[in-house]
Amino acid sequence: MSKQKKYWNSIQHLEGDAKFVENANKEFAEYVPVDEFLSDEKIETATTSRRDFLKFLGFSVSAATLAACETPVTKSIPYVNKPHEITPGIANYYASTYYDGNDYASILVKTREGRPILIEGNEHSTVSKGASARVNTSVLDLYDSKRVQGPLKGKQAISWKKADAEIKEKLNTVAQSGKQVVLLSSSMISPTSKRLLSEVSTAFNGAFKHVVYDAISYSGLLDANEKTLGSRVIPTYRFDKSKVTLAIGADFLEGWLLSSKYAADFAKVRNPEAGFMTKHYQIESKMSLTGANADERYTVKPSEQSKVTVLLYNELAKKAGVAALKASSVKGSEQFVAKIANDLWSNKGASLVVSASNDVNTQLVVNKINELLGNYGTTLDVSAPTLIKQGKDKDMLDLIQDINSGKVGAVLTYGVDPAFNLPASLKFAEAYAKLDLSVALSYKLDHTAKISNYVAPVNHYLESWDDAEPISGSLSLTQPVIGKLFDTRQWQDSLMKWASVEPDYYTYLQNAFKAVGGQKLWNTSVHDGVAKGTAKPVAYTPVSAADIAAAGEAIFNTKTADLEVELYYNVTGDGTRADNPWLQELPDPVSKVVWDNYIAMSPSQMKELGLETNIQQEIPANLATVKVGSNEVTLPVFPSPGQAKGAISIALGYGKALVKEELVGKNVANFIALDAQKQMSYHAAASLEGSTETYLMASSQTHHTIMDVDPKDPEKGRKIVNETTLEGFAKGREHYNPLITLADAYGEQKTTKELNLWEDHPYDTFGHRWGMSIDLNACNGCSACVTACHSENNVPVVGKDEVRRNRDMFWLRIDRYYSSDMNEQVAKENELGAWEMYSAMEQPSDNPQVVFQPVMCQHCNHAPCETVCPVAATTHSNEGLNQMTYNRCVGTRYCANNCPYKVRRFNWFQYDAYDKFTGVNPAQDDLSRMVLNPDVTVRSRGVMEKCSMCVQRIQAGKLDAKKKKQKVQDGAIKTACQTACPTNAISFGDLNDQTSEVRAKFNDDRAYFLLEEVGTQPNVSYMTKVRNIKESQS
Amino acid sequence: MRIFLNKKTSMYQIFRSIASSAMVFVLFFSSSLFAQDGATLFKNNCANCHSPGAKRGTGPGLQGFWDRIPGGDEAGKTKWLVNWVKNSAAVINGGKDEYINKLYAEYNNYPMQAQPHLSDDEIVAIKDYLVNYVAPVEDASGSSAKKNPFIESEQKDNTLLNWLLGLAIVFLVLAVALAGIKRNLQSTLDEKQGVTRQYLPFPKNLFKWMGEHKLQAGFIILLIKIILLVMLYDWTMGIGVYQGYQPEQPIKFSHAIHAGENGISCVYCHHSAEKGKHAGIPSVNVCMNCHKGIQEGTWTGTKEISKIYAAADYDPATGKYGDNPKPIEWIKIHNLPDLAYFNHSQHVVVGQIECQTCHGPVEEMTELYQHSELTMGWCIDCHRKTEVKMEGNGYYNKMLGELKEKHKGVDVFKVEDIGGLECSKCHY
Repeated sequence: MSKQKKYWNSIQHLEGDAKFVENANKEFAEYVPVDEFLSDEKIETATTSRRDFLKFLGFSVSAATLAACETPVTKSIPYVNKPHEITPGIANYYASTYYDGNDYASILVKTREGRPILIEGNEHSTVSKGASARVNTSVLDLYDSKRVQGPLKGKQAISWKKADAEIKEKLNTVAQSGKQVVLLSSSMISPTSKRLLSEVSTAFNGAFKHVVYDAISYSGLLDANEKTLGSRVIPTYRFDKSKVTLAIGADFLEGWLLSSKYAADFAKVRNPEAGFMTKHYQIESKMSLTGANADERYTVKPSEQSKVTVLLYNELAKKAGVAALKASSVKGSEQFVAKIANDLWSNKGASLVVSASNDVNTQLVVNKINELLGNYGTTLDVSAPTLIKQGKDKDMLDLIQDINSGKVGAVLTYGVDPAFNLPASLKFAEAYAKLDLSVALSYKLDHTAKISNYVAPVNHYLESWDDAEPISGSLSLTQPVIGKLFDTRQWQDSLMKWASVEPDYYTYLQNAFKAVGGQKLWNTSVHDGVAKGTAKPVAYTPVSAADIAAAGEAIFNTKTADLEVELYYNVTGDGTRADNPWLQELPDPVSKVVWDNYIAMSPSQMKELGLETNIQQEIPANLATVKVGSNEVTLPVFPSPGQAKGAISIALGYGKALVKEELVGKNVANFIALDAQKQMSYHAAASLEGSTETYLMASSQTHHTIMDVDPKDPEKGRKIVNETTLEGFAKGREHYNPLITLADAYGEQKTTKELNLWEDHPYDTFGHRWGMSIDLNACNGCSACVTACHSENNVPVVGKDEVRRNRDMFWLRIDRYYSSDMNEQVAKENELGAWEMYSAMEQPSDNPQVVFQPVMCQHCNHAPCETVCPVAATTHSNEGLNQMTYNRCVGTRYCANNCPYKVRRFNWFQYDAYDKFTGVNPAQDDLSRMVLNPDVTVRSRGVMEKCSMCVQRIQAGKLDAKKKKQKVQDGAIKTACQTACPTNAISFGDLNDQTSEVRAKFNDDRAYFLLEEVGTQPNVSYMTKVRNIKESQS
Repeated sequence: MRIFLNKKTSMYQIFRSIASSAMVFVLFFSSSLFAQDGATLFKNNCANCHSPGAKRGTGPGLQGFWDRIPGGDEAGKTKWLVNWVKNSAAVINGGKDEYINKLYAEYNNYPMQAQPHLSDDEIVAIKDYLVNYVAPVEDASGSSAKKNPFIESEQKDNTLLNWLLGLAIVFLVLAVALAGIKRNLQSTLDEKQGVTRQYLPFPKNLFKWMGEHKLQAGFIILLIKIILLVMLYDWTMGIGVYQGYQPEQPIKFSHAIHAGENGISCVYCHHSAEKGKHAGIPSVNVCMNCHKGIQEGTWTGTKEISKIYAAADYDPATGKYGDNPKPIEWIKIHNLPDLAYFNHSQHVVVGQIECQTCHGPVEEMTELYQHSELTMGWCIDCHRKTEVKMEGNGYYNKMLGELKEKHKGVDVFKVEDIGGLECSKCHY
């Protein structure tokens, strides 16, 4: 039973580290450096005496008083010609599309007085749902003052006219001299841009080539598909049709291909109440977000992922009666390969196997597996393939060679930064310097732009026109929602100028749409953001016996090393978005580390090597040096439960962003190796040398530990996470979510509602009562809601140092708990005694189960914070909200101390003014400040803040209903976190409306309240997590 | 009391029945609309451009228009008028109507906006109102109307206060002088009588007196303390309160002329008051709707109106716009602190509050000033007193039922009763 299960958020939590326990019992685990301050010798020689101090104090007080007496003159400057669609104070929404070469999302952009301030998911889209963290933070990039603000020649500013003339002349010279002009870009899913490129090619008499380079490469998968599908496309994976899903290394819920679609599809079949609940297996090396959500997860080394794929193929081949491949055994794989194969085989045609490997051979085997299972046409949709990745690694290598050989004379780069993302061994920069002309069509002065002859700055996507076709036949449109902030030009327009293609891209795009569906299609596309095109289906051709045998042979020949390093991309992406403080401050969904990359290693292996696993505020991590071939990088080592032993993982995309002239993390691109097929390989044999040198890290995982979670004594601990198995779920509520009763003074068992010290608020029967329900089965921990909340509520960014001091400001955090695989049932089966069982529970499992739980203010009806506030700054509204009034708050922090959920945040500093946060907090920059939501107060130093349940949206929604003279429609008011969620895990509405979705979810059998025993009666409920496993496995 | 109430009710009922039977009578014998409706219709649809009198606005003054317009007899004129009002653009573009051609030229080729939403009856009602319109008789002395309010120096009459202050000083001097004389006389008397008296210098004498009269002294000191504290409290409470704030605006715009004399509805210019949180200061293109036609102001001639043209980059001589418009930098008068969220549409549309409730008699203000305190106490006070307009608004249906159930016998509820005093209704 889940209640007897142990949950722990970190190694130190599990081990009951004294410091951790001390901190967990406080709201603020701050370290106050009093001794340091007093022992400062300079204090003695300070020239400011006490009397001076009093003088300053008196002066400033009187100056402030005098200043307050004068009427401040505020100007109000109306438009000369007010645009028809803008009414001051009312937000406008525009449909658009986000695509940066990696992530795709159809979005709605919320603008206020012409300024985009928030990005939400577009409900019209059939492809993407919600807006992931990378998508919804992109609005801040628009206001980045580090953007290239005008064309550059070398480092000198130049006018567009001059730059155009010079570039045009040089391009023509290159083309006429018989050399090639190359456009080097990331994957391009805009059909109109592609058509434009063919016209540009004609303009250069064919001496033009488009090379696609993806920093996050899917080249192996595409090459394998080229053989089986006839074209370099990816079948559209239908996770919502698969009853058994196996992902090998693929983080398909966060970041892998069209994850915004997959997460939504997957959530649909993870609902225990729906027709079926899919079974999800994951085989991987590091604990990925998807792995953390898997029903059953197995760890192998990176190189063994391919070998396991072959073993699985052989197992299925046996069942299908076809020839097996030459295979090497993988230690420990016996226990799961056969089991997974059985499960897959019994769900033929309704199963799905995906792999993240960039190795063509492995992907060929995966394709063959899906063919054996008859999944093509069912869970692998080939009638409308996915187009969002197109890069071919070999093309990039050929380009470098062609530059060196003089075949290519000019390179225009767009959307890529090969000088940063490619390993130095490929000598890209050296080749690039040899070009006759290099132009970076760049947004930032990145590594490649710095070594280019010219920089032709491009618009932000929120300033551009474009279209996109992520899945064949599903079109969407990107439209500008603000005028250009700087002297920039979208890359298509630049290219059209240089190749003398008329007229401009906007007209070009419009004409393309009008040619298909006339003005009507254009208008509806601009309005809805999406349009239907014609899909180009592909046909699956079976992989030949010779090919698959060769593939098996090649995989057999790959070597496994004692220690392997795996390179991956985390939530910050490939480095192009690294300057975004919202993304950097967002804790990694699994490790919860911020503002750093690190070496992720299994805790038990760390202990063997004598590395510090108990990393805390003042306990630094050990640095270690990883060597791959002749390259080495020194990074801190961070414990990662669930990491395969003998494998370490490091995130790419770091070592690019600068905070106060210091790099955030380190770039490990040099570890990327080329395999035999000239594909980028993201894993390699490595050696690691630990050192005694240390490094302070910031990870929010030990922060805000909910009261009385004591893994040492689970009986004593209160229920935080409620989970069960599908088996347990079928047994009914009594079994997995029993009613919580407590004994009163006379020993009588009463429910928390009956056992009540206080008088109830009257809102149960009056007006609105706002409530939220979070489905832990749908929530996969992706953290899109966290950044959406940041964006909507002007939550300050505080930087690494402050996060390390437990002073992060998240109104909404996602708690991640590990749990060991020992429980009462297992103990019974293995005939273990109680003592043995509990000691086994304390063993950090090498492969723990993971639960994600978003926690925000629970808006308790009997809120402990309200009763302790001496100035009534936090009170209860008659709509069930726990209100926080900043201007009343005097900062006693009693409320935070009394909050069992630890959701209250204190403004320790004036984050928008104090120089410690310059370059970290966007509100300090005049331009970045534009992103602030004008309906939400920017809090000052010394006050508490917390989730308001987006009260500004509630008020706006109510007003809208009042003006329409109707009741508030269910679903009309959405919180910011809800709009970002790709899986509909968050429901919000009026609990007094008996027909509302949230009311139904509150009444559901799976509903439970966080720490219900405390008697706070929250207005936020959670839905029990159901795993598709056997009771004995839980 | 009860009897009295009943009596009152019955009197009211009798009165109402008489009134309603009279109404039925009138309805029976007249057309379905009254001149009174005509007045409302005129105000809502026409008054922005037309004066019911002879005064020229964006369009011509309509006094005597019925005699001027073509169409021949009553029926013909009505037909012409309905066609013109509903479809003015077609008449102008047709170019066949001599009367209109002349007017159109006279008004700088500025067309009348068609009003197709008006029914024939409504147009006739407006006509009836206009034909029967009698311009209010201006004050015989004409003093207030004839004076230019902008040039007139607005010195306050402080004479009485000055007189009182002067008198107080005279009395004080007199008292001091008399006290001196008294002392001199006393000392002369003492000298004669041979009494030696010790005179303590100030303030020792005061202390001595206080020592002898502890009760009185204590009382006086307490009084002084109280006065000082009250003054301090008043002063601190006034910090940040700018009631009466009347800054000089870049254009001498008179609400008295626009809203008062011309009767332009507030939301014609401040139209976003009905939509969003800001009432909005009208953009220059809204000014130009009328001032393309009206090129001279009542008091300031072309001086102030030319500032609008400068802002819109409009040349009144050629009637053409340039491409260098500059926005007008008005001085904001009503400033709420950033921490308070106030939404105009909530109050104007949902609450059906008159603009004047908070902004005061704007229609009489030549130069606008802040009428109300705009403090939180002032907001709260109104929320305690104001009834919520629940009837007829579907949003409140459920809530009203619940409230009536809870407070039996009570029909009206104040904003306070539905949570209008709660923090996060305004602060978030």
